[in-house]
Amino acid sequence: MVAPEPNPPYPLPHCTMPSRPLHRLAVTLFLIAASALWTGANAQFSSKTTGQGTSVVTTPYVRAELLAHAPQGVAPGQPLWLGLSITHQPEWHTYWKNPGDSGLPTDLAWTLPAGLDAGEIAWPLPKKIPIGTLANYGYDGTVLLPVPVTVASTYAPGPLAKDATIKLRASWLVCRKECIPEEGEFTLQLPIQSTTALSGAAFEAASKAHPRPVLAGTNGIVPDSQAQLAAEGNTLNVSVQGLPVALRGKTLDLFPETAEVIDNAAQWKQAWNGSVWTAQIPLSTQRSASPSLMPVVLAEQSAAHGTGPDTRTGYRAELKVLGTWPQGASVAAVSPALEAALKANAAQAGGAATPAAGSGASSLTLTAALLGALLGGLILNLMPCVFPVLAIKVVGFTQHAQDRRAHRVSGIAYTAGVVLSFIALGALMLGLRAAGEAVGWGFQLQSPAVVASLAALFTLIALNLAGVFEFGHFLPSSVASLQARHPVADSFLTGVLTVAVASPCTAPFMGASLGLTATLPAPQALAVFAALGLGLALPYLAASFVPAVARALPRPGAWMDTFRKLMAFPMLATVVWLVWVLGQQSGIDGAGALLILLVGLSLVVWALSLAGRARVWMATVSIAAMALLVWAFAPHVTHIPTAQAATSSPQVSATGWQPWAPGAAEQIVAGGRPVFVDFTAAWCVTCQYNKKTTLADANVLSDLQAKNVALLRADWTRRDPAITAALASLGRSGVPVYVFYRPGKPPVVLTEVLSVDEVRATISQL
Amino acid sequence: MKLLRRTLIATAALVALGAQAAATVGQPAPDFTLKDTSGKTVRLSDFKGKHVVLEWTNPGCPFVRKHYDSGNMPATQKEATGKGVVWLSINSTEKASSDYLEPAKLMAWKQERKSAPTAVLMDEEGTVGKSYGARTTPHLYIVNPQGVLVYAGGIDSIPSARPADIEKATNYVKVGLAEALAGKPISAATTAPYGCSIKYKS
Repeated sequence: MVAPEPNPPYPLPHCTMPSRPLHRLAVTLFLIAASALWTGANAQFSSKTTGQGTSVVTTPYVRAELLAHAPQGVAPGQPLWLGLSITHQPEWHTYWKNPGDSGLPTDLAWTLPAGLDAGEIAWPLPKKIPIGTLANYGYDGTVLLPVPVTVASTYAPGPLAKDATIKLRASWLVCRKECIPEEGEFTLQLPIQSTTALSGAAFEAASKAHPRPVLAGTNGIVPDSQAQLAAEGNTLNVSVQGLPVALRGKTLDLFPETAEVIDNAAQWKQAWNGSVWTAQIPLSTQRSASPSLMPVVLAEQSAAHGTGPDTRTGYRAELKVLGTWPQGASVAAVSPALEAALKANAAQAGGAATPAAGSGASSLTLTAALLGALLGGLILNLMPCVFPVLAIKVVGFTQHAQDRRAHRVSGIAYTAGVVLSFIALGALMLGLRAAGEAVGWGFQLQSPAVVASLAALFTLIALNLAGVFEFGHFLPSSVASLQARHPVADSFLTGVLTVAVASPCTAPFMGASLGLTATLPAPQALAVFAALGLGLALPYLAASFVPAVARALPRPGAWMDTFRKLMAFPMLATVVWLVWVLGQQSGIDGAGALLILLVGLSLVVWALSLAGRARVWMATVSIAAMALLVWAFAPHVTHIPTAQAATSSPQVSATGWQPWAPGAAEQIVAGGRPVFVDFTAAWCVTCQYNKKTTLADANVLSDLQAKNVALLRADWTRRDPAITAALASLGRSGVPVYVFYRPGKPPVVLTEVLSVDEVRATISQL
Repeated sequence: MKLLRRTLIATAALVALGAQAAATVGQPAPDFTLKDTSGKTVRLSDFKGKHVVLEWTNPGCPFVRKHYDSGNMPATQKEATGKGVVWLSINSTEKASSDYLEPAKLMAWKQERKSAPTAVLMDEEGTVGKSYGARTTPHLYIVNPQGVLVYAGGIDSIPSARPADIEKATNYVKVGLAEALAGKPISAATTAPYGCSIKYKS
């Protein structure tokens, strides 16, 4: 290579200086072959190109295409996404926002019609690309770099305009070992009125690949994620809270969004400490950034250059940097500006350390969780789904009014029944979760069979209370007398029943405690469940031990029978609620089938309560009829119609609520719009209460509208692993959960029992 | 004998590793001995008492070409050497790389672009590059007359391959040298280097 070569036109066609004619020939041939191939590809996309420009640019190393997703056309308030899709030749890659040890992030410069405003690239999760002793962060295969676009209310395309002209000047560095900086001009005519959604799947995939935020510190229950500078000053001790359960125990990759801080290619140690992920990351010896907040993205480590689709999910944590960044130089004095910055950092870190010092970390949070669970259990007594069962208990209580010892025994038995049932349910949940099932609190009621069984049980209890039958009439006398002869067993079983019914009522305080159990080691998690049970049993236990409380109860008498029959009505009301829940799951056919089965069951019970010959005949006939009913209708009860979502959605959108979908909130937030998500379920009483009160409040609704908050409703009535995962990422395992997602900030989780003031205060801070 | 040799090799490896971690701004710069393009041996410690600029380079890299074809790097070199600063261009590209240029060709490429460093050094084994933690081409370092590393980072403040960005960018090496020569501390002592990965021997 002797003759001075003119400056290569930009983009540079190749990287290596061709030093031999043969090499040059090879490159030329390759270019010809490549362009022949790409012509074919271009022809395929010719519909997207216009006379003024092209939406596709191809080079020997990448094929880049400008894509758009505008399902509602181009209009104010409607979703609009633009993006550059880059398909790399095998072995070639482009870079993430922090490219690592070398490279450059892809840069997109937009020219959009007035009124359209492009946001930042919503970078998908990158891969770690090791190159010898160095490491880069980037993408191979095909990647879509999506950009949310907001359409201002002032956007006025003019009466004759059919299309919006989108222009993009993109520059990217594509590397194998060698690197080629490339640049492309793209043009796209985007129809203003009609739908552009051909690339919907690609944008959805890109949105899924965008890292989700981990739960930020809330109410002291979830501490902040941190990066503590080690005393020697060459290591960052990272601890990350609020990662999803699915990542627990896995080896993770860490991608720092801040460049020039860590030694990218170094080997480092990581460990799981319960729900907390820790790592010791060596700092770069030539670190040029000293951030006080270090956002990092974590994802399960993938096999190097693994084939097949990328199934990893990234989670973004903002690490608070504690400690002082080491000042590199003794001789090379620090500039006044840098010194001031370092001092500010130190002061900030010092200030942050004070509250952190008070946190006895996990022991404190466990105590808080146990207290919260106890309090939550107490409040459960007042929940509409527990009260009827308690009523039975009150009837039983007055029967033993004279016998203090019997009181104590039955009080302890009841407590044991409640606590053990809570522990059993908790263990079942943890066990299922360990087995990989996506479940959360209240999961029992997601099964139509369980709901139907509970409805049958409550019907029987109601009939019994109403005096339709006595257990002694048709049960073997030994079993029937169990209640009389073994008051202890009876109390225990009442406790079990209470839990069976109370568990779906995720009361205030309980949500956070239950969420925490998902992030605690098993023994501690079970302790939280036990505390919850103890809280529920506590009032009764106290009454059985303190004579004053027992004495305050009315004397037994004829009123007891009246009271018992009265209690049949709350029982029947509970049945109505259960039938309604089943209706949400199995549709009106399922609910109808359940009702006819309940009628059949009542008939059987009534027939068995008869005496003599009538009993024999009626029982035979009714049992045969019941068998027929079960055969004919039981499948309807457990059948879950698939098309139900379609019928419910018009109703949903009429009230301004959109159905939640995985990644939908993140997508809207990335577009700069705040999102409020209501995680709810038909069987969740607290949810229904909030929905009818606070969430229907005119002031709340107008505030939401004023801030242009998108409303999403995630319905967990039936099992939905995506919603379970979303709840887990918020540190919760049951409903209700109310969350505000804000652009550029961690999500805010509200309390379970929503007050109008709380919601409005949160909205005003958006 | 064999054992002794093995121990020596292991020690040498450890020393090399230690040196690798030691290239930190504010610390003594690792000393090295390399051959220049004419085969002459050059030692860093020979230049004690002078400011020394180390510039990692590779003509195969578009970022290096940005600064050479535009004349930016040669001009920066000329200004520095004119003030008595020693400028060493180091090429750590391994022999097996398609970017590798033999010493004579490398020198010819530099001369075509009127590059005027004190010496162009060959580091095909990559030991010196690794001991400085050099990652990209270009990647620049300044060593003060006491042999202490006082700057590590990029050539300028705009990481791009666009020659048009050069005039808009702050040339960190020019600013750093001016400050160092005036006896002042360097205000931006560590910056982000940008460019291609160095094609090290693996």
